[in-house]
Amino acid sequence: MATEESERFDKVDWNDLSRSGRFDLSINSIGMLLTALPLTLLGVYSTAFTGPRTATFEFIGLEQNLESLDFFFIFTLLLAFWYLALPLYQNPRMTRYYWKEFKRNRPAVVSLGWLGIVFVGGLVGPLIMDPPQQQLLIGYQPPVFTSVVDTTPATCVGDVVNGRCFGTWQHPLGTTQGGKDVFTMIVYGMTISMQIAFITTTIVATIGISFGTLSAYAGGWIDEIMMRFVDIILSFPTFLMFLLILYIYGAGLGMFIVVFSLFAWGGTARYIRSKSLSISEEEFIKASRISGASTYQVIRGHVVPNAASSIITQLTLLIPGFLLAEAQLAFLGIGDSAVPSWGQLISAGRSDLSFAPWIVLAPGIVLFFTILAFNFLGDALLDALNPEAEAESE
Amino acid sequence: MGFGRYVTARVLWAAVVSLIIVTVTFLLLSAAPNPAVQRAATQAALQGGDPAEAAERARELRGLNQPLYVRYFDFIRNVYTLEWGWSVSRSQPVMEAVTQALYYTAQYSIPWTILTVILGPLVGVYSAANMYSWKDHAATGFAFFGYAIPNFFFGIILLLIFGVWLEWIPITYKTGVPVFSVQNAIQLAIPVFVLVTGSIGAVMRVSRNESAEFQNADFMKTAKAKGVSPLRAYAYHVMRPTLVPLSTTLVGQLLALFLGASLLVEVVFSIPGLGRLTYEALLAQDTNLVLGTTLFFTFVAVIGNLIEDLVFTVLDPRISYDDR
Repeated sequence: MATEESERFDKVDWNDLSRSGRFDLSINSIGMLLTALPLTLLGVYSTAFTGPRTATFEFIGLEQNLESLDFFFIFTLLLAFWYLALPLYQNPRMTRYYWKEFKRNRPAVVSLGWLGIVFVGGLVGPLIMDPPQQQLLIGYQPPVFTSVVDTTPATCVGDVVNGRCFGTWQHPLGTTQGGKDVFTMIVYGMTISMQIAFITTTIVATIGISFGTLSAYAGGWIDEIMMRFVDIILSFPTFLMFLLILYIYGAGLGMFIVVFSLFAWGGTARYIRSKSLSISEEEFIKASRISGASTYQVIRGHVVPNAASSIITQLTLLIPGFLLAEAQLAFLGIGDSAVPSWGQLISAGRSDLSFAPWIVLAPGIVLFFTILAFNFLGDALLDALNPEAEAESE
Repeated sequence: MGFGRYVTARVLWAAVVSLIIVTVTFLLLSAAPNPAVQRAATQAALQGGDPAEAAERARELRGLNQPLYVRYFDFIRNVYTLEWGWSVSRSQPVMEAVTQALYYTAQYSIPWTILTVILGPLVGVYSAANMYSWKDHAATGFAFFGYAIPNFFFGIILLLIFGVWLEWIPITYKTGVPVFSVQNAIQLAIPVFVLVTGSIGAVMRVSRNESAEFQNADFMKTAKAKGVSPLRAYAYHVMRPTLVPLSTTLVGQLLALFLGASLLVEVVFSIPGLGRLTYEALLAQDTNLVLGTTLFFTFVAVIGNLIEDLVFTVLDPRISYDDR
């Protein structure tokens, strides 16, 4: 990059860097506040002032309804935008470096592309596509380019050649028993998966980071008790506990997310604690302490950024477990049956497997690729974000 | 801290953890309305009786009118003396139902665990020895595949291929077959295969990366220079130090899979084991049985973690007891 000057130490605008006042917020925080405030107001309005059956946007004539889970999801999206995407844009040099490191891992780039598709599909899909409709007459349509015996679907949408019904682009992945379009259902499932991924990681990161730093800075017997608590959290059989809660109280997707993320932050807390203990011995921490940095500033400015790479990796590797657990519960038919997730679709198509395998195969393969992509991504992020870890990674 | 004291402390800790889990379970249960009481009330209302009175009688019958702490101590005592009550849906004691189901769960769990424990490190060390060759890439690909494919989905697909289309294996599990027979081996082959692919990936990855470290260690160079055969060198000098860090992840991995996936695999392959028992108890609203099976799994998890920690310290004398 010959045309661009790299940052130089003597050209740093120190006034820009040292914001003294507590209320002197960065552009990211201002943006976050400005966007989160209307969202909160809307959430309060939706829960407190409109009935459970009226749509959220009825006052401007839209049919779109938002549940509390959707509000959480949008909130986490805002967080991700202001504190993850925007900083990457603000620091083009580091972004280029990360990308260079990341690019070396080709499966990870493909994975990122796939997850991008799932993300955008999950965000935009439900807005532009109608929810899947029950149409009994066109049940069991085969996917495009394939064909089944004419007698399998009630009426064939595509052409019938030699007694075989061919799939059409109208239903690219076929239809279920009730005639619901499999592709549309998969797109709707993407939203569910993205909600699980974003909300759980936000909860896990928040609790894990606060608990870990608190434990490290409290020290003594408080630290001891807090860490023993983490031990218990870590040895709790979450899946079984969730089954028990589900049995006693019944549980929807929101409960699933809460329970699973409340039992998943143990590793993050442990890591953050050991990181903040080890880092507080470093010279630059002593230097910033002497220059008058508060504990909060040390944590915010040094501990969390230094631990960020490992935390991001850890969280990325946690997500597939959540997705899998949700799919398992949905498959067992004891999850939230109102949620159109991939597991739900797999379970719906299971009895028709021998003559309509696409109902199970399509969501199953999508789920498989998503889990695989998160795993590859986690592996690559570990190498790209944390050059130190390259030598010591297991 | 000496070894004896460490073991004692660790066992006590396991007891505390199990007590906490049992307590949480009790709190969850006592905070919710009892389905049996509700059933009694509904019954009375349907027959023209007084629902409130019937509910009261049902509560009295189950000792629910006693103060919370009395019920709590009763609960704790019954759990630890293995008096887990009567299963309504199966008309037998919960303990008996669990032991019967365990018989079927063990039939696939034991071969699955043995295969994972033996094959995982072997393939891992082998692919470390041939690092970046096509064999290594194949093994890595397999590991990722097995790790990422949902067990239940994989099971359904294999059942479709081998059970429905090829008709090599029976679609439903037959319980009357003797344990050590070809028929039993055939019907358990696919469930075991599915579970092994799910669990072996992580073991392979860890043992591959760990043993890569030891391959170029000084003691390995010495062994090679002395003319030790490659097989012996790998078996004695690479495998053994690899197994130590591996053992920490191994038990946790197997347990996680045992608790979650075995339920799914049993439902998919209709094996009447513990997972299926839990599932049926959930559907039948059989509180005692749900509690019994989940507590059983929980105790397995607690004891598994305990054994893992103890074995780890016995295996590796370098670990000090102080920082645990």
